[in-house]
This record gives sequence, structure tokens and C-alpha cells, in this order.
Amino acid sequence: MEQLVELQLPNIIGSEKAAIEKAVSIAEDMGFSQDRIEDLKTAIAEACINAIEHGNKFDENTKVGITLAANENSLEVVVHDNGEGIDPNKIPKKFVTEEGLPQRRGYGIFLINNFVNEFAYKKKPGAGNEVKMVIHLNK
Amino acid sequence: MSKDIQVSTNQKGDIAVISIKGDVTADTGGEIDKAYLQESVLNSPKLLFEFDRDCYINSGGLAFLIDIASQGRKKEQKINAFGLSDHFQKIFHMIGITRCIKIFQTEESAVEDFLSD
Repeated sequence: MEQLVELQLPNIIGSEKAAIEKAVSIAEDMGFSQDRIEDLKTAIAEACINAIEHGNKFDENTKVGITLAANENSLEVVVHDNGEGIDPNKIPKKFVTEEGLPQRRGYGIFLINNFVNEFAYKKKPGAGNEVKMVIHLNK
Repeated sequence: MSKDIQVSTNQKGDIAVISIKGDVTADTGGEIDKAYLQESVLNSPKLLFEFDRDCYINSGGLAFLIDIASQGRKKEQKINAFGLSDHFQKIFHMIGITRCIKIFQTEESAVEDFLSD
């Protein structure tokens, strides 16, 4: 089975739901378990929110591009924005404050990393930022 | 009230209850905050979150719950929750919010835990 779907989402928080809906539909057809589908939903949501917020900086004149590629045993999701790319030095590594309380923000990439099998990001010179996630049918 | 979330509060004995249905996001989290800031909830020593099993929660929404959890812990307010799907229970554990909010499978077990104090 091979299937390729491309979406252009408005750069507005909430629009990630369209990508989630489409990905879930493909994942169900591929036979993903409900547990894996929930992981996929969170990974896509967080990647899209990062793109809208940090990549496109809430600019409603921009779009978030999504590519969903279904292969035999995995679903590849690419999220594209027009931002400067992810600075690895700015990815939080510590999630507990000095008072022993959880940090308020910064969980997006942490959650993605925990829920997908492969995660990569790259800045495309003059063409924005791309996040690639691959989730396998069998964990 | 934001159209993507329904938040209500009620009192069960000495337990303040915040019930949440819908999307918990950066856009809707303010509704939960508003419910928490009601005097009867803010000053209650026991707070119970009732989540609908179909709630959608993203990192923007988690920030509001973390704020409440942190405030609660600072003022020694005990906070329990039930109703979360297995997936969001897993996320709560992963990010460490369970340091401040204890998760239960049922309302009965969450309430029983309050009574054990």
C-alpha cells in the first residue's frame, strides 16, 4: 500500500485537527492499533503547533504544509513551515523546576520524540523548516 | 465560554469539582483557569478534575493544568483527577504533572483517596 496526501493548513491554532483527521483515517486503513493512533495524533498536533507558533510565528498569511506518505509498514509525516528552523540548543532538556514542579511549556518535541519511531528536522535554505516523523505500524 | 470546551464546577461535600469536556488547548485553557479562580474552588483543600474520556489535550492546554497543579501544590491543595484516556494518563506521567495531580481510573477511587487523609 502506498498513498501520498498533501495538505496546506491555515496558520491558525486549531487547524492541526484537519491533519490529525486525515492521518487517523490513513492509519486506520493501514491497521494501526488505537494506542498507536493516539501517539500519532499527539505527534502531529505538537509538530503542527510548533510550526504555527515558533516557525510561522502566528502569521496568518502563511501556511503549514503537511505531507502524509503511507508505506507498507509505516506512515511518514512531514510538517513544513517558513521559519528559521529548530535550534537544538533551545530544546528543553529539563522539565522540572528548582521547586520540583513541572515546567510550564516546552513539551512539544519531547512528546514527538516519545511517540514516533523516527524524528528529524532540517532547515531548507531559503525554503523554511521541515520536520519529518515516521511511525511504524508495529511499535 | 469558548466553543471548543465546556467547563463546569460543583461541590461534592468538601471537594470542589471541575468538569472538563472538549479541547484543552492554549486557546481554551483560560476557561479552566477561570473555573479554578472561583473562590469556592481556589480555597477548597480538595480539588477533583473530572475529564471527559474524549478530551483532546495538547501541550498548550497542559500549560494551564500545570499552572493549576503548581498553584495547588504551593498552597497544599490536594488535587486528584479521573476520566482521562489511557493516552493522556501516559502523557501526564511522562511530563511529571502527576507529582501534583494524582490520576485515578474512576470517580469513586479518586474520592476515596481524598477521604483517606
